[in-house]
Amino acid sequence: MIFLAIRYLLERKRQTLLTLLGVFFGTMAFVAVSGFFMGFQGFMVEQLINNSAQVHIEARLAYLSNHDLDAAFFGDEFVHSFWSVPPAGVSGYVGIQDPQAWFARLDADPRVKAYSPILTAAALFTNGKVPSVAASLIGCNPTQQSKVTTIADYMLQGKFSDITTGGNRLILGDELMRRLGVGLEQTFMVSVGTSAPVPFKVVGRFMTGSRGADMQAFGALADVQKINGTPKQINEIAVRLNDYLQSQEIEKSWSRLGPERIESWADLNANILSVFAIQNTLKFSMIMTVMIVAGFGIYNILNMTVNQKRQDIAILRALGYDAFDVVMLFFSQGLIVGLIGSFFGLICGYLFCRYLQTIPFMNVTPSNPQGRLHISLDSLIYVQALGFSLLMASLASILPARAASKLTPIEIIRQGG
Amino acid sequence: MGIVVSDVSMDFGKPPVHVLKNISLEVKDREFVSLTGRSGAGKSTLLYVMSSLDYPTSGKVEIDGHNIHSMESEELHRFRNRSMGFVFQFHYLIAELDVLQNVLMPARKSHEEISRLERAQMLLERCGLKEKMTRYPRQLSGGEQQRVSLARSLVMQPKYLFADEPTGALDSTNAEGVMQLLKDSCEKDGMTVVMVTHDPDFAAMAHREIKMADGQIIDKIERAKV
Repeated sequence: MIFLAIRYLLERKRQTLLTLLGVFFGTMAFVAVSGFFMGFQGFMVEQLINNSAQVHIEARLAYLSNHDLDAAFFGDEFVHSFWSVPPAGVSGYVGIQDPQAWFARLDADPRVKAYSPILTAAALFTNGKVPSVAASLIGCNPTQQSKVTTIADYMLQGKFSDITTGGNRLILGDELMRRLGVGLEQTFMVSVGTSAPVPFKVVGRFMTGSRGADMQAFGALADVQKINGTPKQINEIAVRLNDYLQSQEIEKSWSRLGPERIESWADLNANILSVFAIQNTLKFSMIMTVMIVAGFGIYNILNMTVNQKRQDIAILRALGYDAFDVVMLFFSQGLIVGLIGSFFGLICGYLFCRYLQTIPFMNVTPSNPQGRLHISLDSLIYVQALGFSLLMASLASILPARAASKLTPIEIIRQGG
Repeated sequence: MGIVVSDVSMDFGKPPVHVLKNISLEVKDREFVSLTGRSGAGKSTLLYVMSSLDYPTSGKVEIDGHNIHSMESEELHRFRNRSMGFVFQFHYLIAELDVLQNVLMPARKSHEEISRLERAQMLLERCGLKEKMTRYPRQLSGGEQQRVSLARSLVMQPKYLFADEPTGALDSTNAEGVMQLLKDSCEKDGMTVVMVTHDPDFAAMAHREIKMADGQIIDKIERAKV
């Protein structure tokens, strides 16, 4: 019946064209809107998951509550204890308890792409008479750290690997450098806690675009352990996964393995992810509206065709064509329109997305050096757009097609066609 | 085996109008039967019931020994496609197809359009439409359209041909041409033809004329032996 369906479509050129345009614009809108939202979300997620680790294994420190020490001091003798000066401070561990066990575990886990042991210390940076600046001093192995985050990509001066060999060398964030008033190859003083200030040399500068991240300093792990007075100690392992979407599942399973606190990037950025969920709902609503309008176009035109072609239906049934043939005659028209419309919609949607990618739209930042819109060209969008278009075309065609198949030839002949 | 109509009645609507009343009739193989009578006599309804297009309220119709109203849908459609041809007062040609494609439509259903092509061309030649095979229905006269519809009904070489006032919308010249084709189908191709007509001259061309009034057969006139 496709032969006859094509003839019908060709004979009603204007109606066919209008229906095609409906599907075409529906598919194109799907591709463009999805590309825009997915591109934006992809960019945001990339910033979140790449600039930082996807799973953090951290030493567990908890603040003491008023009654945490009751049992230690009074046993079970008193039900209620009242302190004139309640105990204060932290409990737990300042470092990862058994790093080697974690390393072995991470090495064996196929979900883990890379990991980096870290010691983070709160440090005071002093440069001559410039007021001291408090900032985080992060000790790491630069090779491993580069595999876990994209920090190496944000280097403006020097290379991230320049701290590999140690020797009191630091890479500073742009903001920290600006506040300290130091330049490359200059030396300044760093102190951690009550330790005496130690001279460090600036060997690199990075800029992520995030002011918080740009207030950090990176050094070799051994150097930071030394200035912190905690040789061999680390207080975090930053982990990169093969599939970042597994982070929450991994977080749950690893939480049972030791005293350390496990945090996933999704937990740390729950607010942003909830915004994505709202965006996705909005995107889905917009796309569905466009698709439903296109679907109604197909439905209306096919319904009209069924009414116009009652005589053809009558004679086809009399010639031996059954109800299924009649369904296929009208259903295939919707499907053909859906296929052609969505095919051109996909192509034009793709070209439109490529055009959007060239438009300068945002401020230039290190993470978006060209300041252009991030439009996703993910093949999944195109598969989904094709699927939705064909589904919509099928649903819109099946109802008139079924109605046509229920017409009996005698009804039509009696009514004079 | 032919067509055997046994005690067929048909009612319409509420309260029921009795359109056919206990009709019994036998049409032999290769017989040309005309059904005549005034409008509302029930002749077209009888034709549709005999040809499986409509269902009787009671009674049965057997063609070649098969009760056509108890056939499964697939079997019935195959039977219609293979063994029955239909000609109506209106031609019911598909406007989007040319003359030859219209004639080949029954053959398409059974994927025989190639093997039936020669026959379709021969039929169109016999109908005087050899030069108009690539024309579309709108480019033909009423008589030509009806001849195309007749050629379409004959392309599968059906054993039974049902014609409902095939000359009703034609002038006398075209009507005679169509009638001659029907007669040839019966005499030369050995088809069994059941035709509804108002025209007494055309009714007289059949082997047998069955007169109807008020849903009943009131007379059977045998004009020639099969």
